[in-house]
Amino acid sequence: MAELVTLTIDGQEVSVPRGTTILEAAKKIGKQVPHYCYHPGMSSPAMCRLCLVEVEGAPKSMPSCVTAVTEDQIVHTESKQAVGNREGVLEFYLVNHPLDCPICDMSGECDLQDYVHAEGRAHGRSEEPKRVFGRDDFGGDVLFYGDRCVMCTRCVRFMNEVEQDERLTVVERGNRSVIDTFFEEGLEGTHWHGNIIDICPVGALVSKEFLYKARAWDLEHTPSICPSCSQGCNIELHTRDNLIQRIKPRENLEVNGWWMCDYGRHNHGWMNRGIRLEDPLVRTLDGAAGPMRWRDALEQLLQHVGVMGEGRVKAVATPFASNEDLGTLAELVGTLGGGDMVYRSVRVEEEVVLKGFPTLARRKDLAPNTNGAELIGFTRVGDDQAAGGLEDIAKHDGIVIIMGDELSDQAEDFGQEAGLFVYLGDQQSPAASNAHFVFPLTTFAEQEGSFTNIARRVQRFSPALEPSSMARPAWLILGALAAELNNGDAPRSAADAFSGLARRVEAFAGLTYQDIGIRGAVVNETYVLSES
Amino acid sequence: MSDVPLKNPGWAGNTGEFDLTEEQIRGEDFIGERPLHGGHSSVSGTMPYMLIEKNPEAELFEGEYQERLKKILTRYPKKRAALLPVLSMVQELRGHVSPESMDRVAELLDLSPAYVRGVATFYTMYNKRPVGRHLVQVCTNISCNLCGADEVLAAFLECTGTELGEISEDGDFTVIEAECLAACGFPTCVQINSRYFENVTPADIPKIVEHLRAQVKGGD
Repeated sequence: MAELVTLTIDGQEVSVPRGTTILEAAKKIGKQVPHYCYHPGMSSPAMCRLCLVEVEGAPKSMPSCVTAVTEDQIVHTESKQAVGNREGVLEFYLVNHPLDCPICDMSGECDLQDYVHAEGRAHGRSEEPKRVFGRDDFGGDVLFYGDRCVMCTRCVRFMNEVEQDERLTVVERGNRSVIDTFFEEGLEGTHWHGNIIDICPVGALVSKEFLYKARAWDLEHTPSICPSCSQGCNIELHTRDNLIQRIKPRENLEVNGWWMCDYGRHNHGWMNRGIRLEDPLVRTLDGAAGPMRWRDALEQLLQHVGVMGEGRVKAVATPFASNEDLGTLAELVGTLGGGDMVYRSVRVEEEVVLKGFPTLARRKDLAPNTNGAELIGFTRVGDDQAAGGLEDIAKHDGIVIIMGDELSDQAEDFGQEAGLFVYLGDQQSPAASNAHFVFPLTTFAEQEGSFTNIARRVQRFSPALEPSSMARPAWLILGALAAELNNGDAPRSAADAFSGLARRVEAFAGLTYQDIGIRGAVVNETYVLSES
Repeated sequence: MSDVPLKNPGWAGNTGEFDLTEEQIRGEDFIGERPLHGGHSSVSGTMPYMLIEKNPEAELFEGEYQERLKKILTRYPKKRAALLPVLSMVQELRGHVSPESMDRVAELLDLSPAYVRGVATFYTMYNKRPVGRHLVQVCTNISCNLCGADEVLAAFLECTGTELGEISEDGDFTVIEAECLAACGFPTCVQINSRYFENVTPADIPKIVEHLRAQVKGGD
């Protein structure tokens, strides 16, 4: 670690590595210096003038986002001078701001709103008419409201430094300046432009998809993991009315920084899909499948298994399932005498790398847990469209268990010869037509669990939606069955299911839900919270 | 000049450009205007001037202009830095900097078109739309305004028969307001093309406009 420098901020001593900015040092003691243009992931132009703080001995206020700390420096962020600066700067920001908070999508999570509410003047003194720009469609998902813009140029710098496709620029000068692209060029064809909406501190850049959908204060935020590829970006699911309204990235420097790709951001329609399997279905002798209570269904299944005896099991799982689900399925297959475990996954040809943060990319595998499936002992079959590869399973006469895979490419007679065919899934699909038992599952958004990403990092997600009444996580169903068969204990929670997995699979040995925490942990490397 | 001792660490040594005669700077065929190839490379990027006849479709960077472009590029360590003089050259030829021209310049200097647009719109001396043969810029900032700039502006508009910022019907004039032209000692200051007219009063204007019209007719 670099040499430490000790300084005093608002009467509190703090020691930080040499070269740290005052703004970052203040964060360490819980002081948030208001700022717009500064973003930890990009360069600082120090142009918003909001983070000016008083430094004793300096001839004038210093921009804390670019001023490095020095030994024995005494900084005041709440002094009359600092607060006065902010009040003045904020008054200027409001000279041309339309104050259309009631119809602005950013309202409730807007930095301008927050700062003015906290420290701004109650009334503006400007009597001039405000200049009006109207709005501009930037293409892609982005809509620009020029009047609300505070010219922090975060979006311009994101496109230049992080995405490294210089599509945005400041056009004109002075109070006529606006953010724009090269005339009609727009942002079409860029893969990360959704991030400029996240980093816009005001409502100047808004998402067309989310436009007028929900107010910020009505949304519940749930930490989760993006299920759209094997990168495992840390995300927040924003929900209202038990529907996912939007996805926002969550900071994790080890995985995705502050960013996520547009593909993952907009790929949430399926999580809200309404047509679901509602009840456990059990096929009777005459071939019709009828709903049944969970207890009865599981008892019937156990009877069937008793009749079948032990035999080769063939299981197909989806790589969208959590480590817990896959681990419990593997345990059940082991209890039933072992067999083949396979998964199928869509794979695209190209990775889409974020040039300014090259460890982040939209990966080739468009599923979150292919790596977890591999570690747990599933093998990949089928082609890059997640089709085919199940020829021997289709005609298998032993036990067939399908978890999550919809089998939409398979022939109608798939599994007709199976001695016992169990399908677990979240929606009605062709796979269910010949199954003896059909069990409704929760989706990843409705349950707790963990995924293993491309760097073998295990990351937890939390339930964001209420599942339909009878749907259960797969680990609960399969765990109960396995416990009945081998007289063990059924897992009572996802954490329980995970510790079972850690006992059985060497790669996960020693890991617990507590180790993984909110930031994730690499398999077989217990994560230590670093001091920095 | 060449004998200046190296006292200043930033002094690059005598590059020779300060020893040049006016003829050397402006070119041998100097007849009151700089040659199109721009003269010596130390000044080739500066002092843009307006041609009376502009062709918005003119080929950029060809012939003598290509020679000038090469000279401009030698003056900077990076191509990016040549953006301003190159845009000036575009304006000299075509009369204004159109989106197509910006795109062409971006391609030439390996920049993004959006960046070129940002720069071109930042500077008010780049015309973003076509202007008349003579561009009349009347200073209406404080000093000139106190000394009657508004009347001068109104007289120009009346005499040329145009609206502010528009091109006159015969295509000869565009009259615009300018912020301070840095001639506050000689109000009202008017910049016509690249030349200053100082201490202008409304009474002078018919004569000035007549003179400009004559230039067009005379094919100057």
